[in-house]
Amino acid sequence: MSENSVKAQGSGNGGGEEPRIGVFICHCGGNISDVVDVHRVAEEIGRLPFVVFSTTHTFVCSDPGQALIEQKIKELNLNRVIVAACSPTLHELTFRRTLARAGLNQYLFEHTNIREQVSWVVADHELATQKATRLIRAAVARVRDLVPLQKRRIPIHPSALVIGGGVAGLTAARDLADRGFAVTVIESAPFLGGRMAQLDRLYPTGQRARELLKPLVDEVVRHPRITIHTNAELLQATGFIGDFRTTVRLHPRGVDASLRNAGAVMAVCPEEAPDPFNYGLTKRKAIYLPYEGCYPPYPAIDWKACTKCGKCVEAAGKAGIDLEGQPTDIEIQSGVILMAVGLDLYEPRRGEYGYREHPEVVTLAQLNRLLDADGPTGGKLVLNGRPIRNVGFIHCVGSLQHKGIHPPMPDGRINDYCSRICCTTTLRAATELKERFPELNIYDFHEDIRTYGRGHEAYYDRASQQGVVFVRFDPLRPPRVEHDPRGEAPLVVKTVDRLTLGEEVEVPIDLLVLATGLVARDMAKLVDLYRCSVGSDRFLLEVHPKLRPVELAAFGLFLAGSVQGPMDTVESTAAAAAAASKAAALIAQAHVELDPFIAKVTEEKCSGCRICLYVCPYDAISRDDAKKVAVVNEALCTGCGTCVATCPCNAIIQFGFGDTQVKSEILALLGRQPAAAEAA
Amino acid sequence: MTQVGTQTQQPGPGRTTWEPRIIGFLCYWCSYTGADSAGTARMQYPPNVDIIKVMCSGRIDPELITTAFANGADGVMVLGCHIGDCHYISGNHKTMVRMPLMRRLLAELGLEPERFRHEWVSAAEGEKFSKLVGEMTEQVRALGPLNWPRLLHERGVGHGMDLKAWGE
Repeated sequence: MSENSVKAQGSGNGGGEEPRIGVFICHCGGNISDVVDVHRVAEEIGRLPFVVFSTTHTFVCSDPGQALIEQKIKELNLNRVIVAACSPTLHELTFRRTLARAGLNQYLFEHTNIREQVSWVVADHELATQKATRLIRAAVARVRDLVPLQKRRIPIHPSALVIGGGVAGLTAARDLADRGFAVTVIESAPFLGGRMAQLDRLYPTGQRARELLKPLVDEVVRHPRITIHTNAELLQATGFIGDFRTTVRLHPRGVDASLRNAGAVMAVCPEEAPDPFNYGLTKRKAIYLPYEGCYPPYPAIDWKACTKCGKCVEAAGKAGIDLEGQPTDIEIQSGVILMAVGLDLYEPRRGEYGYREHPEVVTLAQLNRLLDADGPTGGKLVLNGRPIRNVGFIHCVGSLQHKGIHPPMPDGRINDYCSRICCTTTLRAATELKERFPELNIYDFHEDIRTYGRGHEAYYDRASQQGVVFVRFDPLRPPRVEHDPRGEAPLVVKTVDRLTLGEEVEVPIDLLVLATGLVARDMAKLVDLYRCSVGSDRFLLEVHPKLRPVELAAFGLFLAGSVQGPMDTVESTAAAAAAASKAAALIAQAHVELDPFIAKVTEEKCSGCRICLYVCPYDAISRDDAKKVAVVNEALCTGCGTCVATCPCNAIIQFGFGDTQVKSEILALLGRQPAAAEAA
Repeated sequence: MTQVGTQTQQPGPGRTTWEPRIIGFLCYWCSYTGADSAGTARMQYPPNVDIIKVMCSGRIDPELITTAFANGADGVMVLGCHIGDCHYISGNHKTMVRMPLMRRLLAELGLEPERFRHEWVSAAEGEKFSKLVGEMTEQVRALGPLNWPRLLHERGVGHGMDLKAWGE
């Protein structure tokens, strides 16, 4: 709960005083003043009522510019400040701080955009000057109704919940725990490690993924401040920044650490199911370990495959296995939450480049399992016992899709984005194939190659030197995969090569590898529980890609890794570390201060109709049944103002965007006198 | 009508011709940033649309739109984030439902539908923004000035608002 509520101090007139407005118009070193006659604007604005000072400055954001604002606030007793300059996204905060330094409430400020939205887009000097005048006039009308506001101050429980036990979640958990905060990691699978555990060698260093993962897992599981729950399912969530309460259902694992003879127990299990760890290339038992060295180090039971025949219980000597375990629900309290659920691999449609029609067509992930020395073939390149001479790779399967060429995904959208990792992963695999099997012919069919990261281009150079044949196809005419009519090889790939100026090529292929893209996981539950913003690519959406890249718009939620978009392991760990550090900075303050532009219910006007309860995207409004009025939870409100527009009684106001303020702005823009100010 | 409309303008020296006055309500996270990106790319567009920033298009109360029309706006634009990209999850879903209703309401009041436009503009769509402003300015210009109080007066509607047409 908030300690200090947002207070509108004084009357609607700002502390009860008559407005004394100071206007500072920026030349922006000519960016504005070359087009807008700033001196004329300053003069016209200076004649408006309540404007006691109006001037121009070469760079208002510079130290002398800010010093001038401070000086004039003190000298002329200004109680409202307007800066007309660039976009508020750039310098609104700068000037709020200037006001605060001069001892004026920082919210008695208005930033008018006369650069991006006037001088840079209107060439005519006269029209631009008029437009700038109109906008500043509207700002003058608007600030008259500003009231001093205080930031909301909300205490933070010194703990974090990390959702997802892959490399991003583990990295974030370790970093946060190292900073002294209690961390809970929940993982839906029975084992930690996520996607990274399934990888073989990683670019750009060529190290083995599980060897890199192992020390991280060890660090996390031994950390005194980290609690881990596997087989965990998100059930419910309440609360808000500082005090989230998440209910998690822990499904029974069926096996505990007291099991001694795991190998023998797994051997007697009669049930088999496709092994998702090997992307369906092999089968596994219903009681299984995904790989050597996993954590927890004892098996888990795949309840979908298990028939509860009891053979494993007997083999275990009735110790360590319980087939009748029931799920338990626990509540986890946390100050912040980090989303680290990762992503999924695109599953090609049946028949897409012959996938699931020809056994010779595999995905890149499957190939990486085949290349893995610990993989299903022990690292041997074998397919149906046939020797392999020609390997083909097709890029951008499920990525960079084009409308009309690729059928839409189940939700009707197409994956028009680049999955980023597949080019380098493909070329890394190609170079490894060439090194280990120099007699192979490798053909790389691409519409584009994006080896964008540090060290990535080296794989392209290496592959070129090793004689990998690159064929560039037209994205609007993707290659066709057919049975080789000559019988030279099982398949033939037909396409038009743009690198040889449109030559038609037919390449016999023994093994065709589809470089499948990355897609967002089904996060409906997560999105619903925590009110996450989702981008049009279905990945979670940050507040701003540059200014707040690892935060969600709902307060106290952070994005750790590839939940946000396609990332490789390098980027995922970097994003997770960034999320951990942002989260730690927040927790360390013990309190958070939030902007005060939230909604507030005027109780006398509220009819208690509940309409606002249903429109609030954050469930921030509840109804006080005793008083029969709506109540806004200040910690949950993000200040979108949807309820304000919805309220049939005009009982809800939004600080900074009150009806009176916006209406004054409209009237001033249209050259009409604003009505007498009511309380905004 | 033209004469009345002229009085609501603030023509500069030597300019007496009527220019459409359009109010644009833009959500901060997508459309306002989209307008900024049009500026950063130095796209030129007519100066007739004056922008009012709101945090979310869900904040745009129909009353604000009628306030604009009732006080001399010749046109109103409402721009928000694309569906699925709302900073506030679903604020724009309310806009999506409200604005078609608003258009019908305005039509009931005798307003030409071209005076009101509701579109989605993302933060990256500076070009779309500048194109929309150009189109809107021209379509409102083609209609000529709107005198809302007189319009209501002629149609015999209005409740308690000042029904005097401007300049009378």
